[in-house]
Amino acid sequence: MNAVLRVVRGLQSLLVGLGITGRESLRRAVTLQYPRERPDATHWGGPIELVTFPATGTHDCIACNACARICPSDCFEIEGKRPEGARKMRATKFFLDFSTCSLCGLCIDVCPTDTLQYSRRYDDAAFHRVQTVNDLLAPFGEDPYLMGKLQ
Amino acid sequence: MSVLHHLLAAVLGDFLASLVLGVVFLMGFLTFNVLFLIWLERKVAGHIQRRLGPMEVGPHGALQTVADMLKLLSKELFTPVAADRYTYLLAPILVFMPTLCVASLIPVGDAAAFAEMPYGLIVITALSGLTVISIFMAGWSSNNKYAVLGGLRSVAQVVAYEIPVLLSALSVVLIAQTLDLQRFGDTRSWPHLFGLPLPYVVVEPVAAVIFLIGITAETNRAPFDIPEAESELVGGFHTEYSGMRFAMFFFAEYTNMMVLGALGATLFLGGWKGPLLPGWLWIMLKAYAVIVVMMWARWTFPRLRFDQLMSFAWKLLIPLALANLVVTALVLGAIA
Repeated sequence: MNAVLRVVRGLQSLLVGLGITGRESLRRAVTLQYPRERPDATHWGGPIELVTFPATGTHDCIACNACARICPSDCFEIEGKRPEGARKMRATKFFLDFSTCSLCGLCIDVCPTDTLQYSRRYDDAAFHRVQTVNDLLAPFGEDPYLMGKLQ
Repeated sequence: MSVLHHLLAAVLGDFLASLVLGVVFLMGFLTFNVLFLIWLERKVAGHIQRRLGPMEVGPHGALQTVADMLKLLSKELFTPVAADRYTYLLAPILVFMPTLCVASLIPVGDAAAFAEMPYGLIVITALSGLTVISIFMAGWSSNNKYAVLGGLRSVAQVVAYEIPVLLSALSVVLIAQTLDLQRFGDTRSWPHLFGLPLPYVVVEPVAAVIFLIGITAETNRAPFDIPEAESELVGGFHTEYSGMRFAMFFFAEYTNMMVLGALGATLFLGGWKGPLLPGWLWIMLKAYAVIVVMMWARWTFPRLRFDQLMSFAWKLLIPLALANLVVTALVLGAIA
């Protein structure tokens, strides 16, 4: 009697298993056909980047080095210059070594001008380690403050 | 087809012409069928795991297996130095022969099977037992411990599971009163409910389940795939085979699935009989339905341990199949 019960229970468990896989097979696949389909990355935090403010069309980094000081991994390398007659400095070099960055976000919190943010990039790739050092000023081109176009 | 037959018959004579045409047609169909089944397997596996399966080559990956076959064709054929050379070379060729013979016996219409036999079922059972010999040849001649273990396991498994398959087929034979597969499609001998003929699965559900389990084991498929258990035996009996020789084993496995699925469809699901559609389409649809269930089971259940597999066959399936046979005989006797 016990053996019969075991067989019946075993069969039942097999059917339950088939039911589960059968149900799952009808649900939508989670795969993305990657290069053609891309995930929605709007709520993700990628490598740190400088904010472009719409009012000025450029970033607002004053090269205060607060981010460099608080960074636990020592990722930053920043240099600045004071434009003629201005009170605030402007960054002339802003390197972030992404190979040591842990995306902790302390730099974003500490920035006095709120000019740092997470980017939405998720597919950065490089062949050499030196290429992981991001030049955050590169997208901005000539600095309008240092050129004297903005005060 | 018949014009071609006449042309060939003029050169080769009637018998040889039929043979050549039949083999060419069957091989062509079976090749296409294997390519389709492998694609289907990967699709079923993908969707069960909520993936998409092959998607890149052709629409929904339909040409993926064609690309794979071309790749296998171009690969080096490797023979181990210590292998028993002739047996090693013969095994992948022989493994396909019984399956091809069995495929020609499956009736696809009212008067259409490639070879008709009054005792078709017996011939099929005898022939499908031959596949295991070539699998054992492959395992033995490879001179590899994993391969020989896979071969031994395969023999033990097929010997054990042939019996319940036969017994469950026999209980249908008792009702149908024939061994001729052609006559399994005779709706007059089917069980009737309110004057409606029903396939044998309705009166023999236990036999049908045993048959399904048995053919899954006979085709060495998960959860009974211990002869080629990847996690234990590398590839089992085909460990040492590469390229197209490996593909021949693959080919034989999937063809065997198709043939045994079609046999199951003939015995239990009413064969080629069905409304509207032509007979050959019905039997193929039914066979594919059986195969999809086998694939579904493969991607659901974990692989059995060897002793579990054996005790399952000898302690459960065979007594159950025997009991089912006796009950069938008693009920038939009582009715008569």
